[in-house]
Amino acid sequence: MQNHKFLQRIFQAYYKEKKDSIPAVSSISNREFAFIPWNKEIMMRHIGFEDLPSLKQYIIKLGPRHMYSSGALYETPEHTNMDQKGFRGCDLIVDIDVDHFYTPCKTDHDIWTCKECQSSGKGMISKCSQCGSLKLSTLNWICKECLNIAKNEIIKLIYKFLVPDFNINLEKIHIAFSGHRGYHLKLEDEKIRTLTSNERRELADYLTGNNISFEILGFQQIQSNIYGFTGNSFDWSRKIVNKIKEILMQYSDDQITDLLTQLGISQNAIKSFIDSREHFLYTITSESHNIWNIEHFGIKTWKKFLEGIVKQVGVEIDEPVIIDIHRLIRYPGSLHGKTGFKVQELSLSQLDEFLPLNENDDALNPIIFESQKNMQKIKINAPEVPRTQIKGESYGPYVRDEIIEVPNHIAIFLICKEVATLV
Amino acid sequence: MSEKIDLQIELLQHYPWLPSLKELYHHIASKDPHLFISELFSEKADSIKQRFLKLFANAFENRESFDHFPINESNINFYLVLKILVYILNTDAITNRVANLYSKTMYKELSQENDYYLYQICQDLNLDVKYYQNSIQYRIRIIKDKKELSKTHFRIYFIDFLKLTSNLQDEYRKLVNNPISEGYIFILKQNLVRLLQEYVRGKILEIKGKEDQDITNLRETLLKIPHFKDLYEHIKNLWELKKEEFEYSIEIEFKDGERMDHIFPPCIIHILRQAQEGSNLTHTERLFLVFFLHSLKYPIKNIVDVFSTLPDFDREKTTYQVNFAKNKGYTPHSCETLKSLNLCKASEYSDELCLKGYYSKKHGEERKIKHPLFYVQYMHFKSSNKQYKNTAKPKKEKRDAKS
Ligand code: SF4
Ligand SMILES: [Zn+2]
Ligand SMILES: [Zn+2]
Repeated sequence: MQNHKFLQRIFQAYYKEKKDSIPAVSSISNREFAFIPWNKEIMMRHIGFEDLPSLKQYIIKLGPRHMYSSGALYETPEHTNMDQKGFRGCDLIVDIDVDHFYTPCKTDHDIWTCKECQSSGKGMISKCSQCGSLKLSTLNWICKECLNIAKNEIIKLIYKFLVPDFNINLEKIHIAFSGHRGYHLKLEDEKIRTLTSNERRELADYLTGNNISFEILGFQQIQSNIYGFTGNSFDWSRKIVNKIKEILMQYSDDQITDLLTQLGISQNAIKSFIDSREHFLYTITSESHNIWNIEHFGIKTWKKFLEGIVKQVGVEIDEPVIIDIHRLIRYPGSLHGKTGFKVQELSLSQLDEFLPLNENDDALNPIIFESQKNMQKIKINAPEVPRTQIKGESYGPYVRDEIIEVPNHIAIFLICKEVATLV
Repeated sequence: MSEKIDLQIELLQHYPWLPSLKELYHHIASKDPHLFISELFSEKADSIKQRFLKLFANAFENRESFDHFPINESNINFYLVLKILVYILNTDAITNRVANLYSKTMYKELSQENDYYLYQICQDLNLDVKYYQNSIQYRIRIIKDKKELSKTHFRIYFIDFLKLTSNLQDEYRKLVNNPISEGYIFILKQNLVRLLQEYVRGKILEIKGKEDQDITNLRETLLKIPHFKDLYEHIKNLWELKKEEFEYSIEIEFKDGERMDHIFPPCIIHILRQAQEGSNLTHTERLFLVFFLHSLKYPIKNIVDVFSTLPDFDREKTTYQVNFAKNKGYTPHSCETLKSLNLCKASEYSDELCLKGYYSKKHGEERKIKHPLFYVQYMHFKSSNKQYKNTAKPKKEKRDAKS
């Protein structure tokens, strides 16, 4: 309780002090707003604001733990019945969050505990490795590596998909660091706003490569020959071919072996793949050859291989988000209650260099409570806390009941994460 | 300028569902329905009645197209009356069938248009379509040393494409399987026409509505016009006759000519009904049905016919796919899989055999149905047993009575 009061107070102070830098989203009076306060685990939805000043007034008073606005536009956003809000279209929202996909660093910093058998371990798992139970509690951490992977996914989404394939005007793209484990992209375009959920699902499939048909794209077996892609078609097959080329040119034999093993391809097949890599590279780069015959690579093995390639080419988007036309997303400039970091809007040019945990540009620094002088004493109240690296300094790992003295922003971060408490 | 209008008028007389109807034929399109119908049906109006009866009869029979009609103003009237009829008949199954037939007919007509007209039609529909005088190449395939270049004159903006394909379950029309660059999908003329068909179908389906005071009132007013009332009742009768046939039978026959639908499990019945109502089937439903019917050795043609009522039916393609599936020789899904796919309809149909199982003499215990094919076997066994005992009804007669 005391922790929450403390956090609420400093969140309020932030909103008061920085009120001039809180941005306005477009058509603010047509958006639905939602807040999660500190004192209750509820979401206060269906709130509307006339304009930015009234919104600011509200949050200075509330100092909310989490703050969202809708991707959708409504005639009367405050109506509690979805059907009566007067839906007027929805921006396209893409959420890229390491919560939803594998990154290697998770084995270092994500801790799970089984609620049934109490065993625990590290990494990303879907069920307990001891008893198989699905009831897990997890403590997910952040590090520069996974945040970098998320950033690269956003960059890939923009420059490999949205721009070349869909001709999306860069000015319509809004990006923000989510304040925790990922990035959001919002696309504001009159025509895209009209897409239904089902139509958005088609877009999602395009961005991820789900439900792709290799046959339709031209992959087929005729007698004993495998006819692959030519790489000069304006469709997904070109993306696949480019990725294969990249792998053949840049990966070491060991890296290829690792990749193919992960895809469940047999050792025999991997060996012949590596033996024929030069030849395959020649075939795949030539305009007039597309017979992809590799020993032990039958049509099934090829499909496994291609599916693996598709996974690498596609973007790791959180599918339910892009499909949902009533989805709420974090408000830019607001604070994330699980970290105390700011949801930081970024222009495309800023994105490239942006380092959420070590940003030099003050205007973009999401760690707004940063202070090296101001120290706080806190007590760890989780069994185990992974190491945190922020602003070039390293803190932890810690164990339960440790009392530590850390800079203000680290203390706030750990309290927000609910692994520490004020003393 | 006037040349352009002439062209548009010609197009409208051929394709009265184009949006510019409202502008160029404002005097007709926005007339009060009662006034409009009473003028048209002031006399016996035999020829127009005949055309409607023919169209509805064809729709109820699930024919694939409907004879060509004159390209003149009467065609516009025909379309407007058709919409009014569908609206006041207010029966989903009828609306579906009319939408299918009418849109398939439009497909045939549109397929014969030249590129320029087709482009004009897209413009009228406010579709973002690009036309290239010289065809553009978007795909290269090499099969057995032969280069296969795919080229087209048309491209369509991806959002328009998504809107037009959102009701089609076809893998070929998934965005991810289509060539696209800079926002525009490369599309073959015939596929573009197929999308326009879908637009037309949607236009008619739009009419579907809940019975409310507006519909009731309009119906009452219009039925005061004797010649129109006559037509309306004719159509109603036609439907009643057809409906009976359609509710009690599923028109498929076993290889020796014996009907089998009465011994089909709910999961299959459900899909067959949907097909008959002319609503779309998902890919999974189609495959399951095909494998199921193959397992019972249904002739290819009969299987293909089951699909003939679907909005996106293409006899050639379906025949190919049904044959293809046959050669794969898969067995249909088990109950367990069907349950997980949400295709099991045991409780919806409160089917005793599915829900409670049966008593197995062999095992001396109650057993559950595990496979829809077993359902058929079991029911077949039971019904032939009954028949054996009930010699009063010879087999042949029973068959005749049903067909
Ligand atoms: S129990 Fe089996 S046979 Fe019966 S409806 Fe379900 S899936 Fe079909
Ligand atoms: Zn466990
Ligand atoms: Zn990490």
